[in-house]
Amino acid sequence: MSEKSFFVDIDCFQQKKHGQNAFGDCFKSKRFTDEGRLLAVLSDGLGSGIKANILATMTATMILKFIEDGKDILKATEVIMNSLPVCQVRKISYSTFSAFECSDEGEIKIVEEGNPDFIHIRNGRLVEHTPRIVTSKKFTNRHMHLYNFKLEPEDRLIFCSDGVTQAGMGTDEYKLGWRREGLIEFVESEIKRDPSISSRHLAMEIVKESIRKEPDHQSKDDVSALVLYFRKPRKLLIFTGPPYRQDRDAEYSKIFDDFDGRKAIVGGTTANLIARELGREITTEKYNKGMLPACSHMDGVDLITEGILTLTKVLEYLNEGYDRWPDDAAGRLIELLLDSDVINFMIGSKLNQAHYDPDLPLELEIRKNVVKQLEKILSGRYIKKVNLKFI
Amino acid sequence: MADEKILLELCFGTTCFVMGASKLQEIESIIPPQYKNKVEVKAHTCLDLCKNSTYMKAPFVKLDGEIISEATVEKILKAIERKIDG
Repeated sequence: MSEKSFFVDIDCFQQKKHGQNAFGDCFKSKRFTDEGRLLAVLSDGLGSGIKANILATMTATMILKFIEDGKDILKATEVIMNSLPVCQVRKISYSTFSAFECSDEGEIKIVEEGNPDFIHIRNGRLVEHTPRIVTSKKFTNRHMHLYNFKLEPEDRLIFCSDGVTQAGMGTDEYKLGWRREGLIEFVESEIKRDPSISSRHLAMEIVKESIRKEPDHQSKDDVSALVLYFRKPRKLLIFTGPPYRQDRDAEYSKIFDDFDGRKAIVGGTTANLIARELGREITTEKYNKGMLPACSHMDGVDLITEGILTLTKVLEYLNEGYDRWPDDAAGRLIELLLDSDVINFMIGSKLNQAHYDPDLPLELEIRKNVVKQLEKILSGRYIKKVNLKFI
Repeated sequence: MADEKILLELCFGTTCFVMGASKLQEIESIIPPQYKNKVEVKAHTCLDLCKNSTYMKAPFVKLDGEIISEATVEKILKAIERKIDG
């Protein structure tokens, strides 16, 4: 990736309708790192619970698959619009959706059908767009709104399900719900408060705020917010494991120190060798949190943790997917990972003989394998750009 | 001499941690009151001892530079006692 290119930071936060055990909205996305493009779909299934979940998942998956296979986004969504069945009870379409395709240069194509209109914020203010409207030939009450424009650095787009804009509907304060206007005002104030707020945090704040509008703070519908933030990439370098050749410790320590971005060391021996090469002090916290060894500190490094146990735990937490990460070394490393767009791993290949002691009570995974699995989940589910370098 | 503390260094590296160092972090609160002010506890990312087979088995701690292998709370407390009371 060239230094000049920008990063499309997207994230979605969702809350189920109160009392339901399945999400009725579905978010799917895929990043094509080599082609420099990203696809995303947010679909809202009719009703709630399992039925809505199936409808939304089906719609989102089909749109994504169509576009992924090379079909134009307009063609793909038109097929879906024309084929979505009509609910026999309500006489309306089974699901609504917003889909977009965005390049690393900021060229974006958006198609919306039935979801609230997206919000575009540039320099802290709303930018309005006039859509091109395509009406379904089969169902005349179905219209797709098409947009095609170029994002500028620091632009944000907010997509949501109607659970957000209709939050609080029927209450004295929000007779017609929070509405798009209320959401715009909230998003503008959030961005003013924290101009570099990540997509993940903004999406979370939107969903939490919309639920606050409801009496008893219980969501009456499925609530989803999808945020796109076109920004300079936040880069993270993780150095884990000593280099295979000890005579290159100095060289790699310097690369680590010179890195322009945030830095973490995952591994006690690795931390020691970097401290030695850079002539810095390490201090280790005396008390561990949870089941993992404590974190350590060194000037110029954002986080230092133990190695393989922590990495294994990170993988476990990411697979589980929590709303709030546990307050231990793995949780802290995850915060750093998810707040970064481009994650570089420098993986030392030297083996630690002591880990092969048959008396060790735990299954200690091989670092390379754990990092490979991390790469898969970070680039897949968490839509990060991940680079691995074995040294 | 009275003000000089003995230094107890704990290793929180992977090997030591899984071999029992996770149980040693409470040591500071377990040291008997008469020795408490005489011991300084310091944690390390790794003491780099597990890689050297001459040092026997993890978990390792260092008491004033002296390596204690297969360290347990009892073993450390005894060593502190010996060190201070002679």
